[in-house]
Amino acid sequence: MDAGLFAQYVMNGLMLGMMYALVAVGFTLFFGVLDVIKFSHGDVLTVGAFVALAGYAGLRTLGISSNWLELVVMLVLATLAMAFLGMLIARYLVMPLRAAPALNTLLITLMLGTVLRESVRLFYPQGANPKPFPALLPRASLDLGEFNLRLDNVLMLGAGVLVIVGLQYLLNRTRLGLAIRAVAQDEETARTMGINFTAIVLVTFAIGSGLAAFAGIMNGLYYNEINFGIGLYLGVIGFSAAIIGGLGSIYGAILGGFLFAGLQTVGTVLLPFASAYKDVFAFAVVIAIMAWRPTGLIREKISERV
Amino acid sequence: MRQKPQASLWSGAIALAVATIYLIVLLGAERQAVIIALLIAGIAAVTAGAWLGLFTSVSASFADHEDALGASTIISALAVAAYFYDNHFVLLLVITVLLYSVATLGLNVQFGYAGVLNFAGASFFGIGAYTSAILNDYTAVPHLLVLLIGGLLAALAGSLLLLPVLRTRGHYAAVVTIAFALLFKTFLEVNDVLGGPQGMQVKGMKILGWSFNDNIEIGKLSLSFYMNYLVVSLLLLVGAFVMVRRLERSWIGLNLDALRLDETAANCFGLDVARWKITAFLIGNFLIGIAGALFGMVGGFVAPNNYTFADSLIFVSILLLGGIGNPWGLVIATIIVVVVPEKLQTIQEYRFLLYALMVIAVLLFRPQGLLPRPVRRYFPGWRPWAT
Amino acid sequence: MGNMSDMVGALLEARSLSKHFGGVLALDELNLSVARDEIVGLIGPNGSGKTTFFNVITGIYSADAGQVRFDGADVTNASGRAVYQAGISRTFQHSRLSLPLSIFDNIMIGNHKRLNQGLWFNLVRRDDFRREFEEGYAAARALVEVFEPALADRLFEPIAGLAMIDRRRIEICRALIGAPKLLLLDEPSAGMTHEETAELMNDILLVRDRNKNLSIIIVEHEMGVIERITDRCVVLNFGRKIAEGPYRAVAADPQVQEAYLGAA
Repeated sequence: MDAGLFAQYVMNGLMLGMMYALVAVGFTLFFGVLDVIKFSHGDVLTVGAFVALAGYAGLRTLGISSNWLELVVMLVLATLAMAFLGMLIARYLVMPLRAAPALNTLLITLMLGTVLRESVRLFYPQGANPKPFPALLPRASLDLGEFNLRLDNVLMLGAGVLVIVGLQYLLNRTRLGLAIRAVAQDEETARTMGINFTAIVLVTFAIGSGLAAFAGIMNGLYYNEINFGIGLYLGVIGFSAAIIGGLGSIYGAILGGFLFAGLQTVGTVLLPFASAYKDVFAFAVVIAIMAWRPTGLIREKISERV
Repeated sequence: MRQKPQASLWSGAIALAVATIYLIVLLGAERQAVIIALLIAGIAAVTAGAWLGLFTSVSASFADHEDALGASTIISALAVAAYFYDNHFVLLLVITVLLYSVATLGLNVQFGYAGVLNFAGASFFGIGAYTSAILNDYTAVPHLLVLLIGGLLAALAGSLLLLPVLRTRGHYAAVVTIAFALLFKTFLEVNDVLGGPQGMQVKGMKILGWSFNDNIEIGKLSLSFYMNYLVVSLLLLVGAFVMVRRLERSWIGLNLDALRLDETAANCFGLDVARWKITAFLIGNFLIGIAGALFGMVGGFVAPNNYTFADSLIFVSILLLGGIGNPWGLVIATIIVVVVPEKLQTIQEYRFLLYALMVIAVLLFRPQGLLPRPVRRYFPGWRPWAT
Repeated sequence: MGNMSDMVGALLEARSLSKHFGGVLALDELNLSVARDEIVGLIGPNGSGKTTFFNVITGIYSADAGQVRFDGADVTNASGRAVYQAGISRTFQHSRLSLPLSIFDNIMIGNHKRLNQGLWFNLVRRDDFRREFEEGYAAARALVEVFEPALADRLFEPIAGLAMIDRRRIEICRALIGAPKLLLLDEPSAGMTHEETAELMNDILLVRDRNKNLSIIIVEHEMGVIERITDRCVVLNFGRKIAEGPYRAVAADPQVQEAYLGAA
């Protein structure tokens, strides 16, 4: 394989990894804070992307044509909207079910995911079909030998890295982050320390859901289209990436995301007939990884008193 | 020693009769306005009945006289079928209810008893259906045997999928089965050998030369060919129902409950958790596969679009609505979930959305479902005699 | 005449048993033995390793070092199931009963090894199953009658509706129905009044008198109980045995007093 093609695959892998990592981090945040698997996370991503698209359509009708302005507005709109949605979900669906068996939370978020997904499919104009997503990033590219390095990809990767670094900073260097980590560690102790448990949970869900919106827009920009099923797909993969990395660990989630993307890219290289089977392969990898290491490469933190 | 008197047979029998008549009227109604009115009336009647405490007496009646009332239910199913003897649409609907009930009974064994999550129920249903398609078209395997093979293949696929995650917590089984559900549908769409997105035709059932796809002529009456399938489906449901009942009312049912509720303690009392989870999963998938195989023959064709993740969630919704672990609740929920969108054509397209909302409501306000599962009674009507 | 246990050999023998969790040493080369037909009290301050010891014996945790022998066989790191089959049964500190299930169901869980688990038997041979069911009912009822006669008529009610003390009684019935050789009781009297505790201990002694072949290790914080029913005591502190002997002797031991109350 020549260097140019190789570099292209690496870039694809990095982009995929970034998206999976962003979704995986969300899952791990929710699990860490509330011990819940929020299966609707992927579908929140879908809604975020469609909200952004609707925002774009709205801006267009208002006659605004500046790409950067559109992009900024879409980002802000989608992120805030999804953060709000995340808080609603936490407040009205997840927290009331804390006393019930964990299974019920899993089921209710799974069903919520369906509600979100179906709502997009049914109520967004022609939501059942893939919708083109505007290419808002500069189309410049640099030719490095045989590899065509696209500026928009670099920008997205950079943005993704910034977001992750920002999240790490938030969690490790701010008081809010400290509170979140305290709650993730031990609810009782956190409460006795004076931390407002509910508020922290809501904030965490807001952050995670905002991340999903960001990932959704990134997905749209990269593939130049979105469809109502994209969240389910990314959700399953993101969730397994989070599991591989050990649920509850941010680093693990990021690692898992990139690991998964790496596996998928390698697979696409080794099985060239596979372009139609690309998705099948992705799911098969999920199953295989679960089979090999159900509890993740880094063990999930379970404490059960006997 | 004080003995609780046996509940009356009558409340159960009357409830059954009323339900049968209601169902016949609903199934026969054509105009949307009439159907909506009937549904509203039905909901009102049920709510009133619950408020008046009628359901406790009906449940007790069914609990103590299960054999008699079970037989009566079979008769009432046949009565419904006989009433619509030449109505293809209604008979197909009834068959769908019967076979979906079998599949959901299988899911109940996995989920309701053993606590093993399975979000790929429709995929295993599809494995059974595609087995029918392939074996009926390309081989001369007798069709009853095809059903069996469909069940076995579904069980085999399930065991391969689940083996690795049996020792882990619920959400791992959830991811694996969701991934499989997505994989299955995509694979079928992409794979041309199995017909691709258009799917495959399935040759109708034939037993000993009797073709199931021909209308039955009795004198001047012409019965819809679906009657053939209906009888077989009913037999299958009765068989599955009795087996699942017995399973629950046995030491095996107790084992499954024990391991679902507390694996650690179950282990300390000698229970082989892995073995029983696998057994439950195999039995469940076997039922799902057989039902799918038969359904494939009934419908005459199979296509990937019928076996999606959303369809798997329909099975799960039935289970949650009916009351996890309660086979009677399950059948009632299947009737509701299958019949209502078919009759109310306007909501057909919204059914996935509506069922998801319904399950959310159930989980928030009545997690035990329509008919909560009662405490295990190994032999209905059995009373301990003081020694 | 020497002690019976010297001649016949110990029923349970743990040697140099060690277990750590991360940096914490929960069991520190513990040596503990129980003779046949003996009631041993296991005491010590919170966190001294008593429940950990039970968990290691019953296969919930695996020991990092050491050996366990039971009834002549090596059961070191044997699975929970194997330990149960060998004849060790237990209750749990945080009562682990299946709340939605009936009293009868919960007790029968403890009877697992004596019930026919075959698919054919359970699904097809219903008359034979019925007979086994009725035998099980009689046995469960007989046990429950010892502890709380009022419950004997209510065997098919869900556990969820019972008071805490009744739940503990049922948990003990569950542990006893399989006719174990060694019963591990983990703080059976937690949450009970003095009278209830006394009653419970009487019932346990009654059952033990009927089964000549039953040894018991009981973890307790109520010293009155320990004094009354145990033949001897073992005191743990930080996972180590610091004293052993009849209760009076052990209670007077300055090391034991220091462990509980802190250095004077």
